[in-house]
Amino acid sequence: MNLYQPQLATVTAVVDETVDTRTFRLEFKDESFAGAFSFRAGQFGEFSVFGAGESTFCIASPPTRRGYIECTVKSAGKVTAELREINVGDTIGFRGPYGNWFPVDEWTGKDLVIVAGGIGLAPVRCVIWNVLDRRAEFGKVTIVYGARSVGDLVYKRELEEWAARDDVTLVTTVDPGGETPDWTGKVGFVTPVVEQASPSAENAVAVLCGPPIVVKMTLPVLGTLGFAPDAVFTTLENRMKCGVGKCGRCNIGPVYVCKDGPVFTAAQLDALPAEF
Amino acid sequence: MSEALFLSNDALRDLVAGLVAAGTAVIGPAPAGGPSIPGLEERQPPTAKGIYGALEYREVRDADELALGPGMPRLSLKQFFLPQSETLFSWKQRGADVEIRETPIAFNPRVVLGAKPCDAAALEIVDGVMDWEYRDELWNGRREATTIFALACAVEDDHCFCPSVGAAPDTVKGADGLLTPITGGFLVQATTAKGEAFLAANRARFAAPPAGGADEARAYREAALARIGENAQIDAARVRDWIEHHFEDPFWATLGVRCNGCGACTMVCPTCHCFDIVDEEEGVGCGTRRRCWDTCQAGKFTLHASGHNPRADQIARYRQRINHKFAVYPLKFGEVLCTGCGRCVRTCQMGQNIGEILVAIDEYAQRTGESGDASAATGPAAGAAP
Amino acid sequence: MKELRDLARQLLADGTVDVVVGWEDSPRGARPIFATTPDDAGKLIFDTRCLHNLATYLNPRRKQVTDLGKLALVIKGCDAKAVAGLLREAQLDRDRVVLIGVRCGGVCEDSMAPEPVALTPETVAPRCFGCDNREPHLVDHLVGDPRPEPPAPLLTLDERVAALDALTPEQRWEYWTAQFDKCVRCYACRQVCPMCVCERCVADKSRPQWIETASHPRGNLSWNVTRALHLAGRCVGCGECERFCPAGIPLATLNRKLQQVVEQRYDYRVADDPEVTAPIGDFRLDDQQEFIK
Repeated sequence: MNLYQPQLATVTAVVDETVDTRTFRLEFKDESFAGAFSFRAGQFGEFSVFGAGESTFCIASPPTRRGYIECTVKSAGKVTAELREINVGDTIGFRGPYGNWFPVDEWTGKDLVIVAGGIGLAPVRCVIWNVLDRRAEFGKVTIVYGARSVGDLVYKRELEEWAARDDVTLVTTVDPGGETPDWTGKVGFVTPVVEQASPSAENAVAVLCGPPIVVKMTLPVLGTLGFAPDAVFTTLENRMKCGVGKCGRCNIGPVYVCKDGPVFTAAQLDALPAEF
Repeated sequence: MSEALFLSNDALRDLVAGLVAAGTAVIGPAPAGGPSIPGLEERQPPTAKGIYGALEYREVRDADELALGPGMPRLSLKQFFLPQSETLFSWKQRGADVEIRETPIAFNPRVVLGAKPCDAAALEIVDGVMDWEYRDELWNGRREATTIFALACAVEDDHCFCPSVGAAPDTVKGADGLLTPITGGFLVQATTAKGEAFLAANRARFAAPPAGGADEARAYREAALARIGENAQIDAARVRDWIEHHFEDPFWATLGVRCNGCGACTMVCPTCHCFDIVDEEEGVGCGTRRRCWDTCQAGKFTLHASGHNPRADQIARYRQRINHKFAVYPLKFGEVLCTGCGRCVRTCQMGQNIGEILVAIDEYAQRTGESGDASAATGPAAGAAP
Repeated sequence: MKELRDLARQLLADGTVDVVVGWEDSPRGARPIFATTPDDAGKLIFDTRCLHNLATYLNPRRKQVTDLGKLALVIKGCDAKAVAGLLREAQLDRDRVVLIGVRCGGVCEDSMAPEPVALTPETVAPRCFGCDNREPHLVDHLVGDPRPEPPAPLLTLDERVAALDALTPEQRWEYWTAQFDKCVRCYACRQVCPMCVCERCVADKSRPQWIETASHPRGNLSWNVTRALHLAGRCVGCGECERFCPAGIPLATLNRKLQQVVEQRYDYRVADDPEVTAPIGDFRLDDQQEFIK
């Protein structure tokens, strides 16, 4: 067995989140691998569709839930297009867990502010459930999540769950023009909604993930709210291949995203050349 | 180094014959082969012009095929450790299930006789990334199965600059021993346990050095060191410093504009190791996953499925090559990702000259005294510029 | 060449162009230069080492060149044919480039020679044999003294093609597959070719994967044959693909064969007149159609 050979996993559940996004639940076929498998929030895997290739997705389920992993995939290229044909019972491959992780253990006792846009909620969903599964260890939890339209919101059922909890403050928004007549959330881009929500930066960390434009616009807002650059965490999407630091594709300046990331603080991102 | 022994030209023949008979592959520099057009063999212009070299590394069946003298084999030894294309595993679909057929990670023993020292040194440098936390079994398996004897080099031409990047015409880095040409054959020394084991296993081929042999070998190596001393000299640490602090310098634009993005430089380079992984269907529901050489100079190297390309033009891509080799790799692995072999210079038909580029950066860094002043008016392009 | 340098200086000084692309001398022979200042213009040369087909820099996908603004391009006859091809295929606006033609007496095979190389049957590049465009027509300016016809090379491309044509199909197959085995899929041939300007090359498309990307014999055959077919009737015979190939594949011979086929079937020789329509872009009722069964 070499480094590039994947583990086999059975697809045990598929949820169509939006018209082009699906969540897959996988269980590893090899029982001893499944039993020994563990990971941390933020890590990713290289998921194989045999015949199409591999693609990089963050593990979207939390490490606190054992026995399965989940990933949420938006159809964009060759492999993700093939994933639209994958059904419950099919076999896909997995290599991982790779990369670094959100230092959730260091956040105990702190407030958490989680901002996500579009499919950017997928990598941080792992963090959210990780924290909610250990709720007592953390302070206030505020989630601001927005998408282009109501149809583009992912994890709709979980959004309802979080909204129903009284130990989570959830603000959802859709872009102007993306609302439906019965939409009860906010209407506006994620950035001004974060500004309005104005979460306190005192004894808090922020987790931010979304399309480049959302990240770019929201980082300064978090700064204005008082979040220091090393208290803002994001996860970087980048073209990857091997996932283990050998093929050179994900190298940006002094880092390899697959090994030194994909989780970076805003301070670390600032130090990188603008090549992502 | 171990005690020096002597391998006569005759004994070399016996050595190779014995190794081949025992099932050990022998690899070395040999005249570049390749088919002539039948009927035109006599009139065929030389396939190997000066640029690409008349030699290539290949497996030989007897010592007469070996060309153990001057000449730079056109591709490096890299292809024997990271092949241009190799199977990672194959699969077969069985209903909803998939069966994987593993690729063996044990390799047959091989010996390289007459590696260019820069090519052997490159292997040790790439070992760094191939062992970075995750162990690449395919690379390492081949490394373990191969014994390498470098051939002390007499310096190819003006474009070699190995001492500037931690190598030398007689370096044994990455090799298990060294052959130095002397009258009638070669002085042989082992530099690793593997090399010692090889000499011991083939002891009958080696004799005591002839009188004056050690002196002759030393003179050969010293002449080479003097010769290369006339070539480009750079301070790799100073160059690295400049690169780390001048990511946006207009100098990079002067380089990228001429580059075709063809990637030939990365293909012939002994230290470039970037690869792609692709699935190929071999039939219905079965196929192989392969890895093959890739190049950061290609536009689609960093292209996202969304269409976003962080390195959208050749300026950014060419800068990446220099940056990765001379700043990033030393930062992460302690070594420059270059052994000064000069192949990229000889290969690039558009005139990208890495020696010239590094000298320009180094001179500029020296002139300004230190690396960090981004407000300085002129960059290396203003000097004797590429 | 003083005439060229003076012209370049003038075009830059009066703002006609932002950059003059030509050749300069370097530590390793002749190479392209992007001259934006009078000093740079003073470095322009033209001699037998100026093999590069500078029309490749007109590829609209080369953002770092299009960003420079309006160009003047120094071109030989073969290069001019490539410019004409780009104009014919609407890949280039004529007013984007000022064309400086040079009268050419042939080139040698080695751009990296330290001094200009005198042309003899041994040193002359095979691509020059039979050249019909030594004084390019598609130009805004024409510089240089008339030069004599280059000597015939030891072996012409047509002789190579004829020798291959004399083989059996099995022998030809063996020859070419052995050559393509050497391919490392660097795409240097494509990158340097002035006619390879597709926004997305067929080899880069993944849905579907028309051409396998791994550098193994099957994919290599697919790539090399496809590129040759895509150049049929378009290739200008500059020979740069073969020169750039780090694996030494005789691509100029392959492309020459396809041009011969087009010449015979459609009575068409690639010309540097963009008004002359090419078989690929033109349909005539009297086109040969005996291959449609």
